[in-house]
Amino acid sequence: MGGPGSSPCASCKLLRRRCAKDCVFAPYFPPDDPHKFAIVHKVFGASNVSKMLQELPVHQRADAVNSLVFEANARARDPVYGCVGAISFLQNQVSQLQMQLAVAQTEILCIQMQHETTLQSHHQVLELDQDDKALLPHSSNNNINNCNNSYNLGYAMSSGQLMSNFASPSSIMQMQMQDPLKQESLWT
Amino acid sequence: MNPKRCAACRYLRRRCPKDCVFSPYFPPNNPEKFACVHRIYGAGNVSKMLQQLPVQTRAEAVESLCFEATCRIEDPVYGCVGMISLLQTQIQKTKNLLARTQAEITVAQIKHSQNQHSEFM
Repeated sequence: MGGPGSSPCASCKLLRRRCAKDCVFAPYFPPDDPHKFAIVHKVFGASNVSKMLQELPVHQRADAVNSLVFEANARARDPVYGCVGAISFLQNQVSQLQMQLAVAQTEILCIQMQHETTLQSHHQVLELDQDDKALLPHSSNNNINNCNNSYNLGYAMSSGQLMSNFASPSSIMQMQMQDPLKQESLWT
Repeated sequence: MNPKRCAACRYLRRRCPKDCVFSPYFPPNNPEKFACVHRIYGAGNVSKMLQQLPVQTRAEAVESLCFEATCRIEDPVYGCVGMISLLQTQIQKTKNLLARTQAEITVAQIKHSQNQHSEFM
C-alpha cells in the first residue's frame, strides 16, 4: 500500500503522483513490476482502469486486473486482433478436435458392427450342417461394406462441419456472445 | 452542427474533420459502437491505436476492439478472457474424450483380432 514513507505503487510511479493510502491501484500494481501497469495504461488508460476497478467489489478486483493485463498484452502482441486472435485460434482447435472425435466414434461403431456381424456368422455356421454351408449368403461382407460407407460419410460430414466451423477473427466478432465461464481462471 | 459527423465526433461533441480517424469505422447510424469502445478504452487511446496501424487493417482492429469492449461491459471481471478460459476447458475435455475413444478403438481391435484368431484354431 502507498503512503508516507513507503514506496509508491507502479501506477503512481508511472503517473508521477503521490501514492495515497487508499490508492485503488496499489494492491494490484506493486512497484517491482512496472511493466504490468505500463501495458494496461497504454491500452486502457489509467482513468478507465480506475473507474472499472471502483465499480467492482474488492474481492473481484484482482481477477479483473489480471484479465485486463492479459488483454492488454494480447493487444500489444497483436495490435489488429488482440484477444480475438486467440479466441479464433482456440475455436479452430475445438473444431479440429471435434472432427477427430467424430471420426474416432464412427470407427469404434464400425468395429462394433464388424464384431457383431462376425459373432452372428459364427453362430449361424455352428447351427447349420456341412451341406447347408454352401448356401449361405455373403452377409458378413455386405455389412462390412456398409460399415465402411458410413465411416466415409461420417468423415465427409465431419470435414464439412470443420469447413463451416472454421472460425476467422472476423466471424468470431460477428457471433453472438455467450456467457463466459466465470469460475475458470487462467492464472490459478 | 454538421449532420454528417461520425458517431465518434457526435459523441465527443466536436467538429468532424475530413481526415477524421474514426469516421470510416464509426458511422453516425450506430452510436452505441463508439460509446462502447470509448467507455472501455477512451477515444484518445483508440485514436492512437488506429493511427499506429496501416489503413487496410484498421477496420478489423475496430471490430476487435468493439468485440472486446462489449465482452468487458457484459463481464466487468473477466471480459473476453472468460471466453478464452471456456474454450480452453472445452479443448481439454474434448482431448480427454478423444484419448478415451482411441483407447477403446485399440481394445476393440485387439478383441476382434483375438476372436478371429480363435475361430481359425
